Amino acid sequence: MSFLTPLFLAGLAAISIPILIHLIQRERKRVVQFPSLMFLQRIPYHSVRRRRIRHWLLLAMRVTAIALIVFAFARPFFQQGALAAAAAGGGAREVVILLDRSASMGYGDHWDRARDAARRVVGGLSADDRATLVLFGRNAEENMRATSDRARLLAAISAASVGSDATRFGPALKLAESILSRSTLQRREAVLISDFQKIGWGSAEDARLSEGMTLTTESVASPDATNLSVPSVTFARSAFASQERIAVTAGVTNRADQPARDVPVTLAIDGREIETKRLTIAPRSSASVTFAPFTAEANARGTVRAGVDPLPADNAFNFVVAPSAPISVAIVENGDRTGASFFLTRALAIGTTPAFAVDVVSVGRATPAVLDKRAVLILNDTQFPSVAGGAALKGFVERGGGVLVVAGERSSWPTDAADLLPGKLGAPVDRLSGRSATLGYLDYSHPIFEIFKAPRSGDFSSAHIFGYRAIEADPMSRVLARYDDGAVAMAERRAGAGRVIVWTSTLDDSWTDFATKPVFLPLVHQLVRYLARYEPTTAWMTVGQVVDLASTAAQIRGDRFVVTPAGQRTTQRVGSSGLVELDEQGFYEVRPAGATTGRPQTLAVNIDPSEADLTPLDPSELVAAVTGRATQAAEAAVAPTPLSPADAERRQALWWYLLLAGLALLAAETVISNRLSQKEKFL
Amino acid sequence: MPLTQSGSVPGARFVDPSILARIGNLDLLARTVVDGFINGLHRAPYFGASIDFAEHRGYVAGDDIRRVDWRLFARTDRFYVKQYEADTNTNFCVLLDVSKSMGFKSREVSKLEYASYLAACLAYLAHRQRDRVGIITFDSEVVTHVPPSAKHFNILLHTLDRAKAARPGQLADPVKKLAEHFHRRSVLVLISDFYEDPDVVLEAIKPLKFLDNELIVFHILDPAEVDFSYDDASSFEDLESGEQLPVVPESFGDEYRKLIAGHVNTLSTKFSEHRIDYTLVNTKEPLDRALFGYLSAREKLMRVR
Repeated sequence: MSFLTPLFLAGLAAISIPILIHLIQRERKRVVQFPSLMFLQRIPYHSVRRRRIRHWLLLAMRVTAIALIVFAFARPFFQQGALAAAAAGGGAREVVILLDRSASMGYGDHWDRARDAARRVVGGLSADDRATLVLFGRNAEENMRATSDRARLLAAISAASVGSDATRFGPALKLAESILSRSTLQRREAVLISDFQKIGWGSAEDARLSEGMTLTTESVASPDATNLSVPSVTFARSAFASQERIAVTAGVTNRADQPARDVPVTLAIDGREIETKRLTIAPRSSASVTFAPFTAEANARGTVRAGVDPLPADNAFNFVVAPSAPISVAIVENGDRTGASFFLTRALAIGTTPAFAVDVVSVGRATPAVLDKRAVLILNDTQFPSVAGGAALKGFVERGGGVLVVAGERSSWPTDAADLLPGKLGAPVDRLSGRSATLGYLDYSHPIFEIFKAPRSGDFSSAHIFGYRAIEADPMSRVLARYDDGAVAMAERRAGAGRVIVWTSTLDDSWTDFATKPVFLPLVHQLVRYLARYEPTTAWMTVGQVVDLASTAAQIRGDRFVVTPAGQRTTQRVGSSGLVELDEQGFYEVRPAGATTGRPQTLAVNIDPSEADLTPLDPSELVAAVTGRATQAAEAAVAPTPLSPADAERRQALWWYLLLAGLALLAAETVISNRLSQKEKFL
Repeated sequence: MPLTQSGSVPGARFVDPSILARIGNLDLLARTVVDGFINGLHRAPYFGASIDFAEHRGYVAGDDIRRVDWRLFARTDRFYVKQYEADTNTNFCVLLDVSKSMGFKSREVSKLEYASYLAACLAYLAHRQRDRVGIITFDSEVVTHVPPSAKHFNILLHTLDRAKAARPGQLADPVKKLAEHFHRRSVLVLISDFYEDPDVVLEAIKPLKFLDNELIVFHILDPAEVDFSYDDASSFEDLESGEQLPVVPESFGDEYRKLIAGHVNTLSTKFSEHRIDYTLVNTKEPLDRALFGYLSAREKLMRVR
């Protein structure tokens, strides 16, 4: 036996009080003188003895009562008892309730049934048990930290709502493992309440519960779930009467085993229904519907809705459409030979996303306006246009413009803009004799070459380069490609917000056959996109993504505020990170602070398309994967760890019984001593 | 035999001994009490002898020459001594137990005081009849010895006055010694509380019966000893041995009363068997009533005799 507060045992000294009182009373006892005890002594001794025993009984009761009360205050407990209780499986439980709040839980009554199941778990807790409520979707969060307060747990369950997240069991189970491993309680259980979507559990998940932890599952999945979803839309842009028209094609998936007939699919732009089409979809297959083209304004909000089913969240697909904006490119050529920019213009004419608006001017005809409203300037084997001037070019680059210098034998560079060029142009190098040069090194980490990084994604080595301009790369510049002899083939230099890239050979057939190689087209597109700092506009995003408004809403200078689909408004100060986590389905608006009118920048957010797949997972499969056991039978074999003294004492609560026994003894003692004294008085 | 005599004697003649106790003069007290009874009630058949001549006997050396019958000497020329009946008058001797237990009292009068009144009264009666009165007080040995004499009545009273219950008592040894003192037939009044085994008591007082002495026994007991009217559980201390015993009167009372009644009964029976007058006296009774009871009973016996 151990004591939680052994100092109270000093109170045992109080036991001497009744003993002293008894002794004092004995001394004070009256002595009666009697002529002779001759007859009294003949009376059997037991009468005397009984009298003594009565007094001893009172003394014993008083002493025992005091001892019991003192022991009660010392808070005793049995360590062995605690171990035994734990070993017998009767220990307190640490329960982690993992409640799935992913978008798919909005199906029918799944969410209500899940909350009822969670409430049942809370109702099954004993006074010593603790429970943690974890709500999870793609990520898991502790909604209610470990507590024994059932009312708070129930309130938290009632306050929880379905989110728009995808289902991922891994993070939730890892969080449960972490919570349970921290617990000192004997029985550690995780209860997973979910619709057990198969897509929520990947075989590569490494979430495992340690030995001694059990996982109980509570499935709310419906056996024959019917679900229609719109997983994506595509846009077809076409020019019509100098306007761009957009045709939306929406895919609709039927996840049910029955065909979905005559499903209405509606396209709405800016809240106005444009067109509704009927569609019949075979069981477990997809179909697409293309709506009539329409002319979109900037940041128009589009929504495609398909049919009605128990899970409405995935029946709507949001997107933002805007007229495409072509990248304006000015090509300055020397003008002394025709077809110098033939390959370039042909390559840039092909681009659609984005389109390239190309103007070719000869250097002699170049005007100062050549840089106006241009995103990229290509100096194609030409001397520097004097009209532009070094200072004008510098300003153009620093404002964000891009310059591609195709350094042929005619190329020159003004000295007043020398610091813009990645290096100093040297003399042409002739590789006609012997083997021609090839590209030997490419910096695949650079955005331009990133798309060629994967194997068989572009063969640069097949291009023969017969001449190039030597360049002495500046330390401030970055070399993006080298020839096989180590000479610089491509280098970049940044100035302000803009970029200057020099290609040391030509982009026609004069020095190289590079322009005839398959990699030429994508490379040119990449170069121009990079120099124009082109960011593809995303028509929609997925719940859970994080956007950096500092780049996507860069045009908004100063403070801005973000309005979530639910109407919640958050303000972002200048210089703040600008990161916004998109955790709701719908449209996010970004406005400059203080602006109430005008069309805001809009982000369309959809739920993860995989949430539409309600195919359930066998919960026992998940349990086996997580616990390493097919069943939970092994839990009894887990060696119990001793409870902490405070826990053991609290669980056993012996002090309560001791105190009661002590008080009962005192009450009995009072009754007995009263009766005894009354008898002695009235004899 | 009832331990206590109930009922009250009509009239104011009987006075409570506790009132008498306030009067210190025992002589007076004895007279007061005994005067009430002697008229015709107590005739003392032993002592009623005249001074008539009985016989002559030959003078032997040592005889008082005053008792020589000179006339007979003149006639016969021999010395004879005259012996008178009056000379054979009896001795009256009180044997008073002054052991410590006799000092016990639960009321105003202790057993010793009560015994003293009793002894004084009886001695007064005897003295009035010109018997020789003497007293012997004893505890575990003889304390005072006043030989019987016609002149010793006052000394007897003094002795009673001085008697103190001081030491533990015992009956056998002192009685054995006393028996040697009685060469004449005497009336012996033994007053004690008899805290001995009845057999031991009988064995002890047998020598007193030699010489054809008449033995009268007064058994003095305090009402507390008889009724055991105690309430509180207390430690009872033996007055003589000092030994203590925790006693719960509630549970002891009945047993004790049974035992003391048995003791009294046994004594009464055994004394009767040996033709010894035995009277139980309770100190709560008026002394005159005790005497009256005794003397009345004795008179009836005398008539029978």
